[in-house]
Parts: sequence; structure tokens; C-alpha cells
Amino acid sequence: MFKLTRKGLWSHKRRLLSTFFAVALGVAFLSGTLVLGDTMRGTFSDLFETGNKGMDAVVQADRIEADGMEQAGLIDLALVDRVRAVDGVAQADPVVEGYGKLIGKDGKAIGGNGPPTFAGNWLGDSPMNSYQLVEGRAPQQANEVVINRGAAKTGGLKVGDSTTIQTPQPVPVEIVGLSAFGSVDSAGGITYTAFTLPAAQDLLLHQSDKITSITVTAQPGVSQDDLVARIAPVLPAGVKGVTEHKLTADQKESINSGFLNFFTTFLLVFAGIALMVATFSIYNTFSIIVAQRAKESALLRALGASRRQVLGSTVAEAVVVGVTASVVGLFGGLAIASLLKGAFTAFGIDIPATGLVLTQSTAVIALSVGIVVTLTAGFLPARRASRIPPIAALREVAFERTTASFARVLVGATVTALGVGVVLRAVLAGGDGVLALAGLGSLLTIIGVVALGPVVARTASGVLGWPVAKVRGVTGAMARENAMRNPKRTSGTAAALMIGVGVVTLFTVFAASVKASVDESISKSFGGDLVVSAGGFGGGFSPELAAEVGRLPEVETSAGIGTGGVRLGTATRSVTVGDPAAIGRVLELGVVGGALTNLGPHDLAVEQKEATEQHWQLGSVVPVSFVDGKTEDFTVGAVYREGDVLGSVLMPTAGWAPHATQSMDVAVLTKLHDGVSIPQGRTAIEAVASKYTGTDVQDKDQYVASVGAGINQLLGLIYVMLLLAILIALMGIANTLSLSIHERTRELGLLRAVGQTRRQVRSMVRWESVIMAVFGTVGGVGVGVFLGWALVKAASGEGIGTFSPAYGQLVTVFVIGAFAGVLAALRPARRAAKLDILSAIATD
Amino acid sequence: MAMTMTSSPTPPTEPPAFGASAPAVAGAVAATKVYGQADTEVRALDGVTVNFAQGRFTAIMGPSGSGKSTLMHCVAGLDSLTSGSVFIGDTDLSTLSDKQLTKLRRDRVGFIFQAFNLVPTLTAAENITLPMDLAGRKPDTRWLDGVIDTVGLRNRLDHRPSELSGGQQQRVAVARALASRPDIIFADEPTGNLDSRAGAEILTFMRGAVRDFSQTIVMVTHDPTAASYADAVLFLADGRVVDEMQAPTAQKVLDRMKALGD
Repeated sequence: MFKLTRKGLWSHKRRLLSTFFAVALGVAFLSGTLVLGDTMRGTFSDLFETGNKGMDAVVQADRIEADGMEQAGLIDLALVDRVRAVDGVAQADPVVEGYGKLIGKDGKAIGGNGPPTFAGNWLGDSPMNSYQLVEGRAPQQANEVVINRGAAKTGGLKVGDSTTIQTPQPVPVEIVGLSAFGSVDSAGGITYTAFTLPAAQDLLLHQSDKITSITVTAQPGVSQDDLVARIAPVLPAGVKGVTEHKLTADQKESINSGFLNFFTTFLLVFAGIALMVATFSIYNTFSIIVAQRAKESALLRALGASRRQVLGSTVAEAVVVGVTASVVGLFGGLAIASLLKGAFTAFGIDIPATGLVLTQSTAVIALSVGIVVTLTAGFLPARRASRIPPIAALREVAFERTTASFARVLVGATVTALGVGVVLRAVLAGGDGVLALAGLGSLLTIIGVVALGPVVARTASGVLGWPVAKVRGVTGAMARENAMRNPKRTSGTAAALMIGVGVVTLFTVFAASVKASVDESISKSFGGDLVVSAGGFGGGFSPELAAEVGRLPEVETSAGIGTGGVRLGTATRSVTVGDPAAIGRVLELGVVGGALTNLGPHDLAVEQKEATEQHWQLGSVVPVSFVDGKTEDFTVGAVYREGDVLGSVLMPTAGWAPHATQSMDVAVLTKLHDGVSIPQGRTAIEAVASKYTGTDVQDKDQYVASVGAGINQLLGLIYVMLLLAILIALMGIANTLSLSIHERTRELGLLRAVGQTRRQVRSMVRWESVIMAVFGTVGGVGVGVFLGWALVKAASGEGIGTFSPAYGQLVTVFVIGAFAGVLAALRPARRAAKLDILSAIATD
Repeated sequence: MAMTMTSSPTPPTEPPAFGASAPAVAGAVAATKVYGQADTEVRALDGVTVNFAQGRFTAIMGPSGSGKSTLMHCVAGLDSLTSGSVFIGDTDLSTLSDKQLTKLRRDRVGFIFQAFNLVPTLTAAENITLPMDLAGRKPDTRWLDGVIDTVGLRNRLDHRPSELSGGQQQRVAVARALASRPDIIFADEPTGNLDSRAGAEILTFMRGAVRDFSQTIVMVTHDPTAASYADAVLFLADGRVVDEMQAPTAQKVLDRMKALGD
């Protein structure tokens, strides 16, 4: 039988080729995701190891982490001497670290699209300095800096240049040296600007007797643990020593469980979708191949081959395809990983990944998933086919079951109903675990709809094909009939596209709803005229800007909005920081208790929803812990209804500032004096804002649009991720068409003989493809809109209150789906038209 | 509309062309078809010159490999010659593009094949009007009704081919061939897959179409009984016309075929 398998593979190479591609592409995406994850993990590990190289322990204050931003408390500079005096300590260096955005030659900020922009003090020749001077000299004056060579290259800067660094206030500096991080120019895209210690303290901490941490090396023979134990007695409360081993491990763990975990999960979702679509394509292809080979198999059975042998040859075929495609996919993953990295860069997100890492576990996962998927998708149809008695197969023209069984109707309808029910229950009732429950319901819904596909495929193709038959005459009518003749095949083909389109629709609807919600809440709340916002993400600017804008004669109110991390009770969270009275004049917050105008430094304004959840009332006393280790009591002084724009807790700047090191605003909301036109106001504000690189002055519409632009950017990235799934679905359609055409050779020969022109043949195949594609698209849009609606409902607690089905975009999705049909039909239609009439009609 | 052979050159060494005396609706001149090259060369047609006369029912017979199917395919515009020419009416087929050939088949030629004559997704009625529908032409309703009644398909029009017997399917094929009133109908073993009674029925319809509508029909067959329905029989062997017979009977055809060593 092996010989037969080999010959079978060879004779079906064309149809198996697309199976091969479907598996290979799906596996490549999976392996690419894993490779990229491992590569980034490796890159981060290297960064942390290089960064911590040379030290044995670090002394630091407790940290507060909120919204991914880590804030470190400060320690006394005087502590350095005390640590140095401890027996066993070889060296102790004061370290100052903070935020500093370097401006390049072109006046634009360098980096800041992911990897952080750091500033700190130059540690000189200390073995604990992870940066080494490669050009120039160390900083000696307050305005002198050493920057890393990567930042210099990106920003077009060189030794001797003068530029600006925002800490966040703009500071003019002169570059006196360039540094390298270990052997590289940049630590994974990080920009690092090093000042002298006093300058760093002044600019980043605003206190000359404080530092961020102390790095320590031990004398020979003193272990890291021993070192930490020896230092401990001299440390004040809230400050502790951490061994280098633990620090590095903690840093790795933090990035792995945080950013990397999220990032790889995000990518794996799309790899999963691509694989799911691929599975459908493979299953469909094998179903058709097995059906078309039924006669051959029956002949073999009649000649004495056992069922096992016949089955075995198909399974062997699946194994060969699965193994080769998985291996190709595994290595193709290396290319996909680079492409993914490129895609992220193209969308303005820099991810640190150098040198692709292909681990054993990636190989095991990618290969086994690819092989299992192919085997399963190949085995099921083969087993079904092998159950047909040989004599029946020999007699019948096509034994493939084309209509849906009652059991399928029942199971399909039940699962769909169950899925929809679970989704509705989850989003309407709300409560804990809404997303998990809605996710489960969504999966059930999709499975149910796919199962029901063959039941509705005939009717649906008939309805969708009706206009085609009306417009295109007999060619259209035959296209419609061809799409209807094998509902199982049609729905299997359309299912792959349906899943792809469904996910596209889901995200499109969700993004449109988020935008609409943002639009609505901004329109509802923002009563001002112009907004100064920080471009890019994770950026901010000095609170000085709000004050400067406020002093302009054109401006009536200028309210700076910043964020900060605090500990409220046991949870760390971010709060909005600003001047409540000013904010109240530009934002309609719907104050329901107290007043924003008379809040003291130790009063909080709280969103009503938040207050209810925390059981706070006006006058409630809330202890707030800050990053500097201090805890102060705050009183709830005002309660407001509309927190979508502002956030749920507002802390007066006066209460926040004493504990902060580098306060930053993310936006300044302004209101102009009566009689000042928007353009006049804009000119005045822009004159001030231009001093702060990276700021953007926007009117209300532009502000809304800029929020939307960020969402569009993410949506674009998601579309790119889904491109592969759609591509696989298209290949599936093309393959089904090719196989169908192969099966209908004689019919096509007859049509050509009695006068169907090549153009008409192509048109017929094309329209059949379009009907199938539109069927899948309609199903996908339907499922996607429903699930999108469910997601919006489930997320209504997160400030997404408006469901927007984005009709315009859905029409686009629909048109693209139909056009996909045209595209998929290109090759099959050409082959059908080229068919040799004589050999097609030759009687055997 | 018919053209005589007098204007076409006939190689002097050839025997007189079959049907040269009657007005021809289609035919071949020195038609030669060669497959393969040099050593493996097979001459499927070797200088065949024939005329198919208007309103006549001609059967083409010959042993397997005699070139009878090739001849029909070439005259019908389904295959091309290596040398020589074929014509339908005053159209030289060798000058036509694929598109023009397709239109010629659609508008001026009718086909009846041995099997798989019908498009399975179309009803009997749709199959009958298929060539006209492909051309975007409206069928002549009165003529169509007459054809449908003649083949007795009135109550089967909405049926799909899978719901029809083999004989009924061939009747639909005959109706389709007649429906567009083509210049000529080519039938390739039209009764090959039928039992004798259904076969006789089909041949009677074809005979009737020639008698009543003056339809020209060319039929390839190896069944002497089928050939006996024709006005004349043309015998081919080794790609050459070897004999012809007017007013054939089954017995006379059988005897002649035996002589040819079939």
C-alpha cells in the first residue's frame, strides 16, 4: 500500500499543495508567535542580566506599580555612606533613575514607542555601570550628558551637539559622550541619558539629598545573600536590600507575566484563528479528495484490500502532508516572526527582539499541532468514506452525502441556541466573569453556526445567487446551481471565510463602538475649546505648560490633567491629578454631591460608581499611600457622575505634588475667553506649546479624532494579524473550486461543446465562488456583529456605553468578502476555461 | 446556403468525394489529422474529403481507430486538423478563433453525445434551451413546443436529469439539438448507452427530424441497426473513406463491416 500512497500523493499533488500551504501557513504563524515570544524573552533576559551585571545587591525603597508604570520611592543619599561602611561591602554607588525624553536633531523626540526613555546619573568607571563610554568623556557640568549610541544614531546626534531633554520640563544639554550597553548601542530600544549625580538629583528628583537606589558589590568571599543580610541592619523602614539574583529573576518574572504574557497571548489568539481556518480548509479538501477517490478505493476493496489498508493510505497521505508542511511551517515561523516584528514597527510599536530564538518547545508545539490538525482533518473524512460498502461506491457516481442529516440540524440548532443563550445571559445579567462566560458562549455560537452551515447552505446560496441568476442569465443560473448542489462542500468552504470575517467584524464593531463611546463622552463632558495633548503613548509633558497656557490673555481656564499611582487600601491604582476647580470649568462632570470649587489639598473627588463600589460617601476618610512611603488621610469632598473622560478618582495637584518626583500632565484642557476665536486661541497656545516637543494643540473634533486614531492604529494591526487567516480561507475556496471543476470535467466539456464561451465558463466559476464567499461573509458579519454587540455590552462597565455597528465599515467588509470570491476564483476559472473539450467529453 | 464541392480542389488520386453530387451543408477537404511525431506518428485522418448533404441523415461507421470520431469532432469544430480544411455552410473552420468556433457550435451545430449529454443542475427545459440561453437568444416558442411534443417530454420539463431515465435523457438531448434549428446535428453513438427499445425511439425521432424538418444529421455509430435508420452510410478505415452505401439495411451494413474486419 505504501507504493499506492506514494503514487496517490504524486497524482494529487496539485490539490494537496493547497492543503500543504494551509497547514504550513497556520503552523508558521504559530511558530512565529512562539519564536517572537522566546526571542523577546531572551532579549529581555539579556537586558536585565547585562543591566545588573557587576552588582551583587541593590538597596531600594518599596515600589508602587500602577497601570504598568513602576514608581520607586526615594532613599537618602546619606545612606550610601552607611552602606559603604558595612563590613563585606566592597563598593556602593548612588543611583538616580527617572524619565527623560531626548529630542533629536530634527526636533522630534527619540524613541518612546514602547521601550522607555530613561535618564539617570553617570556611574563612571564603576564595575556596576552597565553602560561603557565609547566616545567622548563623562559629564562634569550640570548641562553635560552621555547618551547611548543607539539614541544618538536614531536622533542624528553626535558628541558636541546641543539638544533638549524633557524631564519633563525642557532642559538644554550638551552631549559630551556616547555610551554602549554591553556590546550593543541600545538596550532593546531604550534611550538613556546620563547626567552628573547632582544634576540628575536636581532634574529628576528635585531633591539634593535623595537618590533612587544604591547598587552594591560584595568583598570576595561574601555571598549575595550574606551581603544583603549584613546590610539590612543599617537600612531604615521601607527600604530593603535585594540580591542581584533575585532582582534579575524578579525583573524577568515581571516582564514575562506582564507585558510578554499579554503580547504572546494576543498573537496566539490570531495564530489560533489562522489554524482554525486552516483546519476547515484541510478537512474540506480531504473530504472532497476522499469522495472523488471513492471509486478507486472501492475497486481496491473489491480486489481484496482491507478497509484498514484503504484507510491507511489516506492517513499516510495526511501524515506526509502534515509532517512536511509542519516542518516547513516551523522554519517559516522564523520569517513570520520577523514579519510580525516589522508589522509592529510599521504601526509605531517598537518591540525589543534581537537574534531569533527557536526553542525545542516551539518545535514540539508547532510540529505536533500541525500534524495533529492535519491528521484529524484527514482521518475523519477517510473513516467516513471507508464505511461505504465497496459495491455502493462502485455503482454511485458520487457517494458523498450532500444534504444535512436530522441529527446535524438538531445538534447545530441546540449548540447555537445554547451559545447565544450563554452570551445573552452573560452580558445582560453582568456580574463577575462576564468576559469568560461570553467567550464560552461565543465559541459555542461559532461551533453551532458552523454545524448548521450545511443545513442552510442550499437555501442561502439560492437566495444569494438569485440576483446573479437574474442578471447573468443562464451562466449565473448555473453558477447559483453549482453553489447549491453540494451544501456540505459549500458550507465547509464558506465556514473558513466566515470565521475570518467574523473576527474582523467583531473587532471592527468593537473598535467603532469604543470610538463612538469616546466621541460621545467627550462631546458630552468637554465644555472647553482647545486641548493640548501629548502625542505617542506613555508620553507626558511638564505641568508648567498648563500654568503657562493659563497665563495667556486669550485663555480663561487651563486645566492640566496628569496621572499618578497610589495605594488605596490594599490595591494600587492610578488616579487623575489636577486642579479640581479648573477641571470643573472645562469638563461637565455632573457633580451630585459636594463641590469641585472648594476642595482642599487633602480632599478627593470620586465618580459615583466608584464611591458606591467602595462604600464611600461625602466625608468618608480614605487613607492613601504614596510612593515615597508616606500615608495620608484624604476626605471624599465631591462625587460626580461622568467619569468616562476624567477617570474615577481625582486628586488635587496640591495633595499629590509633595510625594511626586517627576509630575507629568498628559493633557491640558482649555477654555478661551469670550470673543477669542478658536484660531486666535490656537495661535496663542501653539506659541507656548511649541516649546514642549511632542505636544499637539487640538480642537474638540481633532481631540476626538486623535483618540480614534489610536484605536484605528490598533485595529489596523489586528487586520494585519487576520490577513493570514483570510488568505488561508481564500486558498480553501480556490481549492474547493479546483476540485469541483476537476469533478465536473465532463459537464464543462459538454457546456463548451454546446456553445459556452471561455468567458462564460470563467464567469460561471467566478460567480459560484462569489456566492460561496458572500455566504461565508454574510455568516461572518452576522456572527461578528452579534459577538461585537455582546463584547460591547460586557465591557459597558469600562466606559464603553455606545454600540455602533459601523455600517459603512461593514459594507466594506462585505464588498471585500465578495471580491475575495473573485480573487479565489481567478486560477480555478482560468483552468476551467482552458479545459480541453475533446478529452473532457471523451467517453470511457 | 449549401455549397457544392466544385469550387474546392479535390486531389485527383482520391476516389470521388462522398456525397459530392448533392448540395453540401458541411464537409471536409483532404482532411488530415496526425497525432504524435515521426516514429510514433498516427494518422487518425488521412486525406478525407466528404460532403454532408442538406436534409440527409448520414451514418459514419468503421472499426475502432478508423478515425470516425476524429472526423466528426473536426467537422463539428471541436478539434482541429493537421492539414486540409473543414467547412460548415460557407465558413472555413480552420480560420476561426476559439471564440468564433464556440459561437458557431452554439448557433449552427447541434450535439447528441453517447452519455453525459445534460447539465445535471439544469431542468430538462433549461437543458433544451441551453445553447440559445448561452447566446442570449429567445427561442422560437412555436418551434420549441413542436420539438418538445415530438419527443414527448411535455410532462417532464421540470425534471432534473437525475430524475429521468436514460432514454428520456437522450430525448432531451435530441430536443436540445433540434431546438435551435442548427445547420447540422452531430450525434456520437447516441444510442450506445440505451436498451434496444429506447434506442429505436431516439433513432425514430432523428429520422423524423430529417424527414419532417429537413434537418441534416451526421451520426457516428458502430451499431448496424442504428446505421440502418440513415439515408447513407460512410465507411472509414485507417483514416480513409473506404466505402459508402445508400439506403442501408442492418444486414447489408453488418456484412460490409465484417468485410472491413471489425
